[in-house]
Amino acid sequence: MKELMRIEGLKMYFGGLKAIDGFDLSIYEKETLGIIGPNGAGKTTLFNAICGVYTPTAGKVIFEGKEVQGTPAHEMAKKGIARTFQISKPLAGLTIFDNVVAAAGVHEYTGIASYFHKAKTKEVEDKVEQVIRRVGLESVANKKASDVSLGFLRRLEIARALVTEPKLIMLDEPCAGLSNFAINEITALVMQLKSEGQSIVLIEHNLPITMKVCDRITVLSYGKKIAEGTPEEVKNDKQVIEAYLGEEDD
Amino acid sequence: MNTYYLYSILATAAIFTMLALSLNIITGYAGQAMMGIAAFFGIGAYTAAIITTNGGNFFLALAAGMLVSGAFGAVLGVISLRLQADFLAITTIGINFVMEALFNRMKITGGTLGLTISKPVIFGVKMGNKQFFFLAVIFIVILCLLLVKMRKSWFGMALASINNDSAAARSFGINVNKYQILAFTIGTAMAGLAGGIYAHRMGFISASDFAFVVSIQVVSMVVIGGLGTIRGPIFGALLITSLPEILRFAKDYRELVYGLLLVLMVRFMPQGLIGDDSPLWNALTGLWRKVFPKKKTRADLIVESVKGGEQA
Amino acid sequence: MFLQQLINALTIGSLYALTAMGATLIYGILGILDIANAGAYLVGAYVGWYIYYATGSIVLGFLGSILLVGLLGIFLQRTIYSPILAKPRTLSIIPLVAAVGLFTISSDAVRLICGPNSKTYDLKFPMEIIQVGKVTIQPAWLLIFALTAVLLAILWFILNKTKLGLAWRATAGDREIALICGVNTNNAMALSYILGYGFAAAAGIMTGILYNNITPALGEVPSYKMLAIIVLGGLGNPLGTVIAGLIIGIAEVFLSVYTKIPIPKDAIAFVVLIIMLLVKPEGIMGRRNKV
Repeated sequence: MKELMRIEGLKMYFGGLKAIDGFDLSIYEKETLGIIGPNGAGKTTLFNAICGVYTPTAGKVIFEGKEVQGTPAHEMAKKGIARTFQISKPLAGLTIFDNVVAAAGVHEYTGIASYFHKAKTKEVEDKVEQVIRRVGLESVANKKASDVSLGFLRRLEIARALVTEPKLIMLDEPCAGLSNFAINEITALVMQLKSEGQSIVLIEHNLPITMKVCDRITVLSYGKKIAEGTPEEVKNDKQVIEAYLGEEDD
Repeated sequence: MNTYYLYSILATAAIFTMLALSLNIITGYAGQAMMGIAAFFGIGAYTAAIITTNGGNFFLALAAGMLVSGAFGAVLGVISLRLQADFLAITTIGINFVMEALFNRMKITGGTLGLTISKPVIFGVKMGNKQFFFLAVIFIVILCLLLVKMRKSWFGMALASINNDSAAARSFGINVNKYQILAFTIGTAMAGLAGGIYAHRMGFISASDFAFVVSIQVVSMVVIGGLGTIRGPIFGALLITSLPEILRFAKDYRELVYGLLLVLMVRFMPQGLIGDDSPLWNALTGLWRKVFPKKKTRADLIVESVKGGEQA
Repeated sequence: MFLQQLINALTIGSLYALTAMGATLIYGILGILDIANAGAYLVGAYVGWYIYYATGSIVLGFLGSILLVGLLGIFLQRTIYSPILAKPRTLSIIPLVAAVGLFTISSDAVRLICGPNSKTYDLKFPMEIIQVGKVTIQPAWLLIFALTAVLLAILWFILNKTKLGLAWRATAGDREIALICGVNTNNAMALSYILGYGFAAAAGIMTGILYNNITPALGEVPSYKMLAIIVLGGLGNPLGTVIAGLIIGIAEVFLSVYTKIPIPKDAIAFVVLIIMLLVKPEGIMGRRNKV
C-alpha cells in the first residue's frame, strides 16, 4: 500500500499544556483509519495541527512526500486534505446548496482574480448537485443552513469536504449528537465512500462504529499514541482497556 | 422647494449613498465591525482637496483620494487580522477620533481653519450641486453594477463564507486574511472617492465633517436599510439624509426622534427595513412573485425532484 | 509640581475608572459595547442635581440617583438589549447601534426637559483647601477618592462575597455552562445593569461636583473615552478597568503638561489604546473570548 501521509514526532503545546506530545502515524491510500481515545485525549487538536489550524510546536507532517506542517488551513484544503468539524460550522445565512457551492470553489479563491470568475456555472452546479444527492441532502437543498436539523448539518459537513475532491478526508466525530437512525445513515455513507476508494481518517467517540468501519485504529491518550492496529488487536489491548476504563464514558 | 435646494439635498444623499455602499462592503459583505468610515471619507477628501488647491486636475485628485484612503484602509485591514470583533469596533472608533484630531491640528489640512476648495470647471461648466449629484449618481451606478457582478463571483462567495464562518471558509480553501484585507482596501477606497467628491462639492472642509458622529450616521444608514444588500444602504442613505426634511415638523425633537428610530429599528427589525428576510421586503417580493413567478434555482429543482422528501 | 500633577491625574483617573466600570460590568455579561452608559452618566448627574436641590442632601442625591438610574438600566436591559441579543446571528454592531440611539435619546431628552444651559452643584464642603507644602488638594478630590474607594469596595463585596456576585462571575466566565449549572443568568444581567448604570450615575454626579458644571453635552466625551478604557482593561474585567482608568488619567495629565504632542487631551486615550492593541491585542489584563 502506498503511503499518503506520514506524521513524525508531532508535538502541539499550548503554554504548559502538552495537548499532543510526540505522535507518529502513517496513513495509507484508500484505507480508513480510526483515531479513538478518551475525552480530552487530543483528537481534535491533532486534526487541527494536521490541517493547519494550528502550527505544530514540533514534528513533521508529510503529505504525498512533501513536508506540509505549518501550512495554513486554506492551503491544506487546496492540497487535497479536507476536514469536517465536530461542532458543525454551516454558513448559516446561505442555502445548503450554496454552502456546497462555496466549498466547490476551493481552487477558485485566488484573491482579486476571483472577482472575474462567476461562481455558479453549469459545471459547478452539476458537481454540487451530484454531491448533494450522494450525501442525501436533496430534500433540503434550497433551505437555509440555519433552518435544518443537526443530521443534515453533519451531512453538509461531509458534502463540503467531498466537493473539494480531496485525496484525504478527515471526519471529526460525524455522528456526535445524532439519533441512532441518523448514525446508521452516516455510517452507511462513510462505508460507501470507503468502497469508492476514498482515503479516510475518522475520529469517532462511538466505538462500535469505529470498529465496524475502520481498517486500522490508533488510540490516543493524553496526547500520546498508546496502541495501534486492526480493530481486533486494539480491542484486546491492555493499555486501551485501562485508558477507557479509567474514565466515565458519556 | 426650489431646485437649488433640491439638488443640494440630492447631492448630499448621493454622496452618503456612496459612503453607505462602501461601508457595506466591509461590514455587510465581509462582516467586519467598522465604526470609523468617516476617517477614510476624510482622508479622501483632504487628499483630493490638497491636490486641486495646488493646481491638480479634479479627476486625478479623486483618483488620488481613493488610492491614499485605500492604502490606509489596507493597513487597517492588516491590523484587523489581529483583533476580534469588539476590539476592532473600538479600534476603528479610536482611529476616527485620532484622525479627526490630526485633521484639526496638521498644517497640511489647514488646521482648525479647514481648507477652502474652489469648484472645478469641467468642459467649461462650473460644477454645482446639480453636476455633483449627477457625477455621484454615475459612480453609484457603476458601483452597483460592480457589486452585482461581485455577488455572483467567487470573490463574493469568499466574502459571504467569511461573513458566516471564517473557520469553515478556511477549511475549503479561502485565504481569510487576504480577503479581509481586500474588503477593507476596496471599502475604504470607495469612501475616499466619496470624500473627494464631497470636498469639491462643499467648497470648504474642516475636521468636524469627518467626526465619529458621521461614521455612526453611515452605520445607521446601512443597518436601517439592510446589511449585506445593495438596495439596503441606498435606501438607508436616502432615508437618513432626508430625515431632517421629513422631521421638519418635529423641529426641536429631531434628534430625539432620530435616536428613537434607531433603537426601534434594531430592536424590532435588525435585518433592516428592506433587508433580506425583513417583513417588509418579504411582503414586497411576495407581491412581485405573484406577478412574475420566481425563476427556479438549481436547488429548487433538486428539491422538487425528490417527491415526498423528508422535512427539515 | 510633579506630585501635584500626579494627584491631579489620579483624581481624574479614578473618575474614569468609575465611569467605565458600568460599561465593563455590562460587557462582562452581555458582551455589548454599551455607549448608552454615558447616557446614564448624564441622566445620573441631572437626577442627582434635582434631588440635591429639592432635599439639600447630597447623600440623598447620590443614593436616589444611583437607584433610579440603576432601575432605568434594568428596564432598558429587559426591553431593549436582551431581546436584541436573543435573536440568532446578531452582528456585534447591532446592539452598538441601539446603544448609540439610546445615548442620542438621553442627551436630547435631558436638553429638552432640563434646558440647554449649564447647572452648578455649588456643593459646600465642610473643609478648606488643604495645602501641604507646594501641593494643594481640593476637598472635592478627597470626596472622589473616598467615594471611588467605597463604591469599588462595594462592588468587590457584591461580586466576591454574595450569591448574586457568584452568579455574575459564573455568567461572565461562560454563559452556556452557567446556564447548564442552574445559574440564574437573568439575575446576573440585571445586576450588571443596576450596578453599571448606578456607577455611571455616581460618576456623573462626581464629575458635576468636581467641575461644578453640568450640561446636556456632559456624556459626549465619556461615551467614547470609556470604550477605550474598557478595552485597555481587557473588556469585561473590573480590576483591569480601574488600572486602565488610572493609566489614562495619568497619560492625559502628563502628556498634556510635559509634552507638546499634536493630539488633543480627549483623543489621548485612543492613542494609548491603539498603540497597546498593536503590541498586546488582548488588553492589559488578558483576554476574554467573546466573538
